[in-house]
Amino acid sequence: MSSIGTGYDLSASQFSPDGRVFQVEYAQKAVENSGTAIAIRGKDGVVFGVEKLVTSKLYEKGANKRIFNVDRHVGMAVAGLLADARQVVEVARDEASSYRSSYGNPIPLKYLAERVSMYMHAHTLYSMARPFGSSVMIGTYDVDGPQLFLLEPSGISYGYFGCAIGKAQQNGKTEIEKIKMKDMSIRDLVKEVAKIIYLVHDEVKDKTFELELSWVGEQTEGRHELVPPEVFSDAEKYAKEAMEESDGSDDDEL
Amino acid sequence: MAATCVEFATGGFSFENCRRNAILEEKGLKPPKVYKTGTTIVGIVFSDGIILGADTRATEDTIVADKNCSKIHYLAPNIYCCGAGTAADTEKTTQIISSQLELHRLNTDRTVRVCTANRLLKQMLFRYQGHIGAALVLGGVDSTGPHLYSIWPHGSTDVLPYVTMGSGSLAAMSVFESRYTPGISREDGMKLVRDAIAAGIFNDLGSGSNIDLCVITKDKVDYLRPYDEANKKGVRQGKYAYKKGTSCVLTETVRKVEFVVESTQVKVEAMDTV
Amino acid sequence: MAVEFDGGVVIAADSRTSAGTYIPNRVTDKLTKVTDNIYCCRSGSSADTQAIADIVNYHINFHRMEMGEDPLVKTAAKVFQDLCYNYRDSLSAGIICAGWDRKLGGQVYSIPLGGMCIRQPVTIGGSGSTYLYGHVDATFKENMTKEECLKFCKDAVSLAIMRDGSSGGVIRMAAISEDGVEKHLILHEDITKFYRE
Repeated sequence: MSSIGTGYDLSASQFSPDGRVFQVEYAQKAVENSGTAIAIRGKDGVVFGVEKLVTSKLYEKGANKRIFNVDRHVGMAVAGLLADARQVVEVARDEASSYRSSYGNPIPLKYLAERVSMYMHAHTLYSMARPFGSSVMIGTYDVDGPQLFLLEPSGISYGYFGCAIGKAQQNGKTEIEKIKMKDMSIRDLVKEVAKIIYLVHDEVKDKTFELELSWVGEQTEGRHELVPPEVFSDAEKYAKEAMEESDGSDDDEL
Repeated sequence: MAATCVEFATGGFSFENCRRNAILEEKGLKPPKVYKTGTTIVGIVFSDGIILGADTRATEDTIVADKNCSKIHYLAPNIYCCGAGTAADTEKTTQIISSQLELHRLNTDRTVRVCTANRLLKQMLFRYQGHIGAALVLGGVDSTGPHLYSIWPHGSTDVLPYVTMGSGSLAAMSVFESRYTPGISREDGMKLVRDAIAAGIFNDLGSGSNIDLCVITKDKVDYLRPYDEANKKGVRQGKYAYKKGTSCVLTETVRKVEFVVESTQVKVEAMDTV
Repeated sequence: MAVEFDGGVVIAADSRTSAGTYIPNRVTDKLTKVTDNIYCCRSGSSADTQAIADIVNYHINFHRMEMGEDPLVKTAAKVFQDLCYNYRDSLSAGIICAGWDRKLGGQVYSIPLGGMCIRQPVTIGGSGSTYLYGHVDATFKENMTKEECLKFCKDAVSLAIMRDGSSGGVIRMAAISEDGVEKHLILHEDITKFYRE
């Protein structure tokens, strides 16, 4: 990076002469080193999928999960530094529960996204703070239909039909763009999500990974939850079959 | 440096002795009598403005403390306010709000609105939970027209075309209830308000003396004090001074008074200035 | 009092404010606006209920700006409840919060003295309500039309005015629905007469 050694990257509260904040860009780099996470918004809900890299055989199965429940109706999938992301989850949970206790209703996702992104943005303004080394995706399903937001370390948040973060951000996005998600149910989307996670996984660099899948939609009655075991195995089976097919076709081409 | 820091009294309300007083009262101490104005104050909306009216008697128990006190207080150039209840409270409350309204006027560079005065007053009175004994009739004209409010000591307010307050309010209200008409003219309105206050003065022991009026229109305020004297003091009919020589002189004696002269000199002494 | 109907609510109240034996205001509007589609009926101390209504109005409008959409009736009721419950020892306020929102349609929430908050298809409050329980239980039917609800409210408040010394004056009613607020005023000479002496 051109900035190294220029001295403008020591603090989050300082601009470089060309108007960049390097600390924030480094935080974005931290996200790009993590296992991929994707989310897709279908016609009747949102599906999250995470490629959780397992760096040691000694870990318990299911340790260090990267999909969280923020509130009964809101799910969050994260990429980047897990410890940082956990703090974001904590803040989101506080916001959601405080909204519920003040107003007696579930928090609207747009408002939650705004509040959490304001919190993340605050960490890009002060010299004593470090920006969050993680991006998070939050999704819900309610009377207004499915909603999905991506919050980045810079404090920016946008609504999406589909997004990918982490190592295979680019590949993930390309794969998502191929899907006609607006017409698809989450029952079908969950398979596609599993397939994309398998597809973008780099077997050479990262040996093993655990797949995490969750959804929130009409069939979960607006609740965010991990997909049931049978749906999970179906999706995983579909993903593996698709991989074998594409491997086969690759062989043909060669 | 060791010096005592003197705290100057800032004025305003202080409730620091409330708890002490409650305990003293419980132990049998009679609380001192409150200086309270038995009062008649009224206000009406007329065709192009507001007329406020008040009597001028201030009472302290059964004693008339002031025969010509002023109960129509200034709040802003276009807003006035009649006060009944504890005289000190109505006086101080209107002064505080008047000051806030003036700052508001300077900050916004606009004529302040009557609803603003109403909000400030009701919020202040509500905050003090009725301990500020101020019952007010608030009236004024602003960009949205004439407005009249009655404000109670606990902080509730009413919006009405004609209002009365104070111990004479029942007498005054009976005059309004029988004679008020919407869109009443300035002359008829002033006559009606005068009669309402007069009803208070004559039928309520706590009200008396003169009638003050304040007529507020879009670009003019007439503060009439006194507008009328309800009971003019009568002129003595006869002369009661005795004529010279009414009592006759019976005897006359002249006697010399003896006295001793001690000294005839006045000595100049230095002033004691130590 | 307030009643839910399909697509909205009807709220109604008398217009008497009393201070001891004196009536300082005989044409009070006890149906107080919170937002365009949420109203409250106030009973108890007028100073307390006016202050609460003003505070809730502030909170809810702030919330509307923050969220960029009309607040829900339940949200307003919850804010009323928070105030009424937290300050239950120093307040005497019985409030009915009613209105229409796009999520749940017409709703009536009752927040009585202790600061409880419950949704009811019909509710009554204030001093005159004690005279009305029997009538309401006997007369209320579910799924009434707006017109039936207006008639039901008018009759009930009329009965309360005739029997309760602290109720009187005119009847103010409002029907709140998706289309907005439709206000009704029934003068004292037009209130329902149930029998003649």
